[in-house]
Amino acid sequence: MDPLDAPKSGKTLMIVEDEVLVAMTLRDVLEDAGYQVLDLTERHQDAVRVAQESRPALALVNIRLAGRDDGIELAEHLKALGVPVLFISGQVSRARTAQTVAIGSMPKPYSAPDMVVAVAYLLAWLDGDDSLPRPQGLEVFEAAGPSPAAAV
Amino acid sequence: MAVMAASPTPLLLLDGQLTVLAVSASFCVTFQLDPLSVAGTDVFSLGQGEWDRPQLRALLQATSAGAGEVDAYEMDVVRPDQDLRNVLIQARRLDYLDLENIRVLVAVSDVTEARADARLKDEALAKHSVLLKEIRHRVANSLQIIASVLLQTARNTQSEESRAHLSDAHHRVMSVAGLERLLSASPPGDEEVRLHAYLRSLCASIGASMIADPKQITLTVSDGHDIVPARVSLSLGLIVTELVINALKHAFPDRRRGRVTVGYEGHGPNWILSVRDDGVGMPSDLAPTSAGLGTSIVESLAKQLRASVEIESTHAGTTVNVVHTQLALVVNATTGAADPAARPPWRSREAS
Repeated sequence: MDPLDAPKSGKTLMIVEDEVLVAMTLRDVLEDAGYQVLDLTERHQDAVRVAQESRPALALVNIRLAGRDDGIELAEHLKALGVPVLFISGQVSRARTAQTVAIGSMPKPYSAPDMVVAVAYLLAWLDGDDSLPRPQGLEVFEAAGPSPAAAV
Repeated sequence: MAVMAASPTPLLLLDGQLTVLAVSASFCVTFQLDPLSVAGTDVFSLGQGEWDRPQLRALLQATSAGAGEVDAYEMDVVRPDQDLRNVLIQARRLDYLDLENIRVLVAVSDVTEARADARLKDEALAKHSVLLKEIRHRVANSLQIIASVLLQTARNTQSEESRAHLSDAHHRVMSVAGLERLLSASPPGDEEVRLHAYLRSLCASIGASMIADPKQITLTVSDGHDIVPARVSLSLGLIVTELVINALKHAFPDRRRGRVTVGYEGHGPNWILSVRDDGVGMPSDLAPTSAGLGTSIVESLAKQLRASVEIESTHAGTTVNVVHTQLALVVNATTGAADPAARPPWRSREAS
C-alpha cells in the first residue's frame, strides 16, 4: 500500500497538544490528508471526554499538557479506553519510559507532512498491515503491539 | 620515632597485638585525640571505639600475621561528637627479621574533602545534564512552533510564488529541527551526528511534502556510516535541503520520471557531498545574475566549510559536488574529483 493512499480511509484522530499553533497546523494537514480530526484538546479531562464520546482510531498526545497535566498519565487512561496513543513530544526519553502505554513516539521537532506519513503507517500497522516502509523519525513501541481495540 | 611523630600523613605504628606504639601528631590532630592517651592503647579502643570495625580488624590482623597487606581500605570514621570523616587506610608489616617484635605501619589518609568534591562534581554534572535536556526540549518546542507557523502561513497564502518561498523556509527550519531531534535523542553532551541517518530523515521529510507521486520521482541517500560533528552536519543538511529542493523543482518538468541521489563520502579530513539527478539538466543560458537565495545559501555554507562547489550539468542530469579537500593526496584517488577550476561555477536553476 502506498503511504499517500492510506489517509483516504477517513479514520478519526484526536490531537492533545498544549501548543495551539502546533495543534492547529497538525489538524489542518491531517484533515487535508483525509482524516477526521476531533476537537483539539490540551488537558487530560477534556481529552478523556472527547475520547469517550468519539473513540478515535489514534490519539496524538504531547507529554507536556496544559495545567501541568501529563501526557503519559493520559495515555494510560486512553489505553484503558482502547484508544492507541502516539506521543508527539520532544521529551524522547520520557516517551521511551512509557512504551507499555503508547504504540509509538514521533519526537518534536517533526514536520507535519512527516506526521501524516507516520499516522498512515501506524494505522495500517494497527490493522495488521506492515507492508508500508517505517517512516524516518518514528519510533514504534513493538511491545505494545497492535491493539485489537484500534480496529473498532 | 621522631620522623614518625612529625609525619604530615596521619600514621600509626602498631605491634603484633595491634597496640599503638607510636603515633604522628597529624593523626591526633585530624581525629581529635589526645597524644598521651594514644600510645599503649589497643588500636580498636582509640577515641570512642570508632576504629573498632570488624573488617578493619580482620585486615590488620592478617597484615600483622604476614598474610597480606592493606592497600587502600576506605571507611567512614564516625564519632558522635565529630563530623564524619572518609578515610583511606594502608597498612604494611615492617619486616626486620625479628619475629618477636612485629611492627605494623598504618597510614590513614583523610579523603573527606576529596570525596565531597567528587560528590559535588557528580551533582553538578547531573544538574548540567538535566538542564541540557530541558534546553533541548525547549529548543525542540520552539522549532516546532516556528515550523508550524511557517507551514500554516504557506497554506493560507494565495500567491503561488510566496507559498513556494514559505515552503522553502519551512524546509530550511526543518533541516535545523531534524538535527536538533537527532541530538536530543543522543546522550547529553554528544555532539557527533550519524550523517547518513540525518540526511535520510531530511530527505524523507522533503520528499513527503514535495514529491506528489513517489513512483514517479525517487529521492534516496547512499549508504554510509560517517560520523560528523554537529556544526558541520547542520551546514551539510542545509546545503542538501537547497540542492534537493532545487532538483525536485526544476529537474523533472512535465511529470518526467526520475531519481535524485544524495551521497557523502568522508576520507579522513577530506569529504565530498553530492546531489545528483537524472533530470533535464540546467539551461545553458542561465545568467549569473539569476542566482537566488538557495544559491547564496549553498555558496555561503560551502565557503564556511572551506569547501568548493562544483557543478556538472548535461542532458542526462545534473550533479552538484561540494568538495572539502584538506589533504590533496587522498582526495584524487578516492573521489575522482577533478580540478575545480575546470568546472563552471555553481548556480541554481531557480528563475529569480
